[in-house]
Amino acid sequence: MSYLELLRLAAPEAIVVLTAFVVLTIGLVTGRREAGDTPAATAGLGALVAALGLAIAAATIVRLPGHATLFHGMLVVSPLNSLFQVIVLVLAFFTVILARGERLLPNKGEYLAMILLATVGLMLLIGSEELLMIFIGLELTGLSLYVMTAFDKASQTSAEAGLKYFLFGSMASAFTLFGLSLIYGFTGTTSLAAIGPRLAEQALPPLLFVGIVMTLIGFLFKIAAAPFHLWAPDAYQGAPVSTAGFIASGSKVASFIVLGKILLIGFGPVSGSADWHGLIAGWTPILAVLSALSILIGNLVALVQKNVRRLLAYSAVAHGGYTLLGLIAGGRAGFSATLFYTTIYAVTLVGAFGVVGFVRRENGGDDLADFAGLRARSPLLAGCMAIFLLSLAGLPPLAGFFGKFYLFSTALRAGANHGLLWLVALALFGSLISLYYYLIVLKVIFLDENAQATPAVARYDFEMRADYLPKMTLLVLAGAVLLLGIIPGTLVARILASFG
Amino acid sequence: MVTLGDYLFVSGLLFTLGFAGVLLRRNLIIIFMSLELMLNAANLSLVAFSRFRTNSLGQPNYDGQVFVFFIITVAAAEVAVGLAIIVALYRARRTTHVEDINSLKF
Amino acid sequence: MIAWTIYLTLAGALLALLLPRILARWVALVATAGGFGLGLAALFAQHTDFAHFTTIVRVPWVPALGMNYHLAADGISLTMTLVTGLTALAAVLFSWKVENRPNEFFFWLLLVVAGSYGVFLSADLFLFFVFYELVIVPKYFLIAIWGSTNKEYGAMKLTLYSFLGGALVFIGILVAYVTAGTLDLLQLTQFQFAPQLQAWAFPVLFLGFAVLGGIWPFHTWAPTGHVAAPTAGSMLLAGIVMKLGAYGALRVALNLFPLGFQMWSKWIAVLAVIGIVYAAAVALRQNDLKFVIGYSSVSHMGFVLLGLATANVLGVSGAVLQMFSHGVIGALLFALAGAVYYRTHTRNLNDLSLMGLSRTMPFITFAFVVASAASMGIPGFSGFAAEITILIGAWKTFPLAVGITGLGMVLVAAFTLRALKKSFFGDQTGGRVRQETRVPNGAATLAEKLGASLLICATLAVGLYPKLLLDRIMPAVETMRFLHR
Repeated sequence: MSYLELLRLAAPEAIVVLTAFVVLTIGLVTGRREAGDTPAATAGLGALVAALGLAIAAATIVRLPGHATLFHGMLVVSPLNSLFQVIVLVLAFFTVILARGERLLPNKGEYLAMILLATVGLMLLIGSEELLMIFIGLELTGLSLYVMTAFDKASQTSAEAGLKYFLFGSMASAFTLFGLSLIYGFTGTTSLAAIGPRLAEQALPPLLFVGIVMTLIGFLFKIAAAPFHLWAPDAYQGAPVSTAGFIASGSKVASFIVLGKILLIGFGPVSGSADWHGLIAGWTPILAVLSALSILIGNLVALVQKNVRRLLAYSAVAHGGYTLLGLIAGGRAGFSATLFYTTIYAVTLVGAFGVVGFVRRENGGDDLADFAGLRARSPLLAGCMAIFLLSLAGLPPLAGFFGKFYLFSTALRAGANHGLLWLVALALFGSLISLYYYLIVLKVIFLDENAQATPAVARYDFEMRADYLPKMTLLVLAGAVLLLGIIPGTLVARILASFG
Repeated sequence: MVTLGDYLFVSGLLFTLGFAGVLLRRNLIIIFMSLELMLNAANLSLVAFSRFRTNSLGQPNYDGQVFVFFIITVAAAEVAVGLAIIVALYRARRTTHVEDINSLKF
Repeated sequence: MIAWTIYLTLAGALLALLLPRILARWVALVATAGGFGLGLAALFAQHTDFAHFTTIVRVPWVPALGMNYHLAADGISLTMTLVTGLTALAAVLFSWKVENRPNEFFFWLLLVVAGSYGVFLSADLFLFFVFYELVIVPKYFLIAIWGSTNKEYGAMKLTLYSFLGGALVFIGILVAYVTAGTLDLLQLTQFQFAPQLQAWAFPVLFLGFAVLGGIWPFHTWAPTGHVAAPTAGSMLLAGIVMKLGAYGALRVALNLFPLGFQMWSKWIAVLAVIGIVYAAAVALRQNDLKFVIGYSSVSHMGFVLLGLATANVLGVSGAVLQMFSHGVIGALLFALAGAVYYRTHTRNLNDLSLMGLSRTMPFITFAFVVASAASMGIPGFSGFAAEITILIGAWKTFPLAVGITGLGMVLVAAFTLRALKKSFFGDQTGGRVRQETRVPNGAATLAEKLGASLLICATLAVGLYPKLLLDRIMPAVETMRFLHR
């Protein structure tokens, strides 16, 4: 395996890293102004370069060979990995566009570079089937996201959110690392493909099981499953809006695909069963309990939220719980259901946070009250938000509905004699609760009048400088959510086909 | 003779100490040091496994040692990011105590 | 051809949203009139196979999961399509004067109608459920934005109940899907599910549908929802949405799990009878005109459930006829109550009784008298034809229920007459009709006259010649597999 070959197969990642440096340089060369705001033109240039780099990387992935493995799985090119790397790149692309509006941020170049570096981390996470590389991807993503979360120096909450995210995140990755060391110790390998057979051929030592559980903690933290969700509300609320959107979308997609690979490829032999009558020890019952806990805690706590971003965070906890259903069901069908759901969820949340970003810029806040009368001010944003939230609630003909149907039907089919019915019923009950709080947000948007008159300046900003590009992006995202609901077959077929 | 079990015991102890420190301490810097302790506990167990899991020729399994080098690097990056966030927070709040960092809740 | 009802209505919904506000109501009128016309043409076409659920369209949708875009129709679904078109057209006519955000109003309204058409014509369980859930959110907005009296509470309650019912239906559908491995209704109605499975899956599925059908004790969303809704909203709720539940129970729950149905049918009959009597008794005590009609809806839907529970051809055909009949009569009653409210700004029976409305609103009074007569089950109107068919059917299976239901019918007559007298023929002696309470613009508008006449003609036509529909309903019922033979 020559280094040229390595460069060829790792070209997408390399392109994104290079773009990150270019964007950083652009930011440095154009310099910082005392006023704190980079001139619009250079910020636009940086964003343009970043978007271009992401697009080129995506195009490169498409041209990669179908299957290739480098260094015992350090980097694996497969249809599945390529598909999801492209999806993550697309999500990063939308984040870059929506971050254009993030006017509060000085040092735009550094911010964009951080988005790109986080994207590289996500690509490595997806593209690797080796514990060491997965750990590095996890850390690269995590560190970039911590910095992005704390990036807004003008806001007090941003640094606080960043710190909390950092502390919880580091602790979770320490757990994962310790778990990985135990897995390595007992199987003598760090390659996922080799771990599975080794686990199958021996009785499970207790310490190895501890290792597996500790490893899972890090990923459950990333997907914000209860009780490892405590960082999520703070990070979603305090971070710059585009960062929150990226944490909720790109980071989640990559985490789910890695979690799925680790569980189904690596730990497949010790899965156990979470059937109502046929409980078998393994990681499945643990995941089932955490999934149930996430659904309950996420939905119930979301009921009392007054801040839309916090509400989205708690609903994200609940959606993490739903998405785990596919992994609990296991197998190709379950994994593909999970991947489908997490993809459409990511698209939806990028859009929802995009709308939140607009409202925040106009009203200076993102509490429920700031959304009052949004319909009258901007029918477009209100309509998009309605599509996003109703999709999250799982109503047809939007993507979330099909996603739930897919997830729940595979979960129900997995256990013998409908063994997972209890979890499906719980998830449906959770959806019922979630419909209530999503409708409350929509009620505020469509019914309530704006109590306090908007300051004239902000209003001017909103009307006149309203960037068309982000608005068009939101429209595209809303259209995607609708289309994925009406014709989900294409994406489903693609995911299924990518398993080979 | 020091066995693998002894190393793992020490490693587990370090990890527990670090975890307890993160949970119980109130000063951010100390919490930070405890986090590093947890990472180093993993390093110790990786090295120990690497030394004791020999192959048929009696050579250690070097994967674990390579892993450790990466962890040390990552930990250094983590320190840089973490301290930067703490400094940013200190500028805004003039404190490094977790009790005072409570503007976001529930 | 009949599939175009869905597309036409959906296209109308989009156009109503996007075109200038002055055009929205015309778009809605054209779309609903078109749907009604298509429904009429399909139901009274020659050489149609009413007995079998005949495929109209079938194209693969999500092949990986076995979903098809599959529409089919038989006599039952065509009857329901017709009542949908009829009610929708009348609802648009009665909301001709909506001035507040008309684009959105007609958008949501047409979405409800399109979803209902879809439910009645779906032959694929997933498609069925998509349409079934599609109706939920438009209802919320219709009520919460354009409603009255406690509208946000009523809207939320109705939506959550609908969604709760939907969740139960979802479980039932999923279980059927993963057990039989297909979503095709035509195949599922041939599949033999294990009796143990049917024993628990049937009540889950049936209850899910029955929540929307207004079964006691899960009916409480109906009165509050009806009261809170705008006129067109109540008309659609009573005329169409409650039928979705009953139709789903008949088409899906009973046909998928016939053994489960056998085990539970007497409990359904018990709940239905309780519903009939209880709702009628509660209606007798209400002072809000719309509450009275709302509870009468629950009572009438009790007849539908009783008819289904009989599991014989007469009873079930009567239930379908009652769905049609109550769709028309309920919509008419709500439309007239809305017309009264629009002019007097009150629905309180005691206030209305002081106004002497029979003199100031002659047409509306006349129409309300007709509607009340139909609602009470006077021969000559569709209500009588439907209820007598159900009771004859029930006589064979549940003789006791018929007796208790008779009491319910007396109560229905009582509260209907009470509401009629208080609201239109109030105490007018000795100039107690004060000048300030007199209603200035009592005359019905042309749109209202058209809408009311349409519904009155429908109930009369079916009442005088029930074979018109029964000839098309009964063959379809006879082919269903859950009947006792």
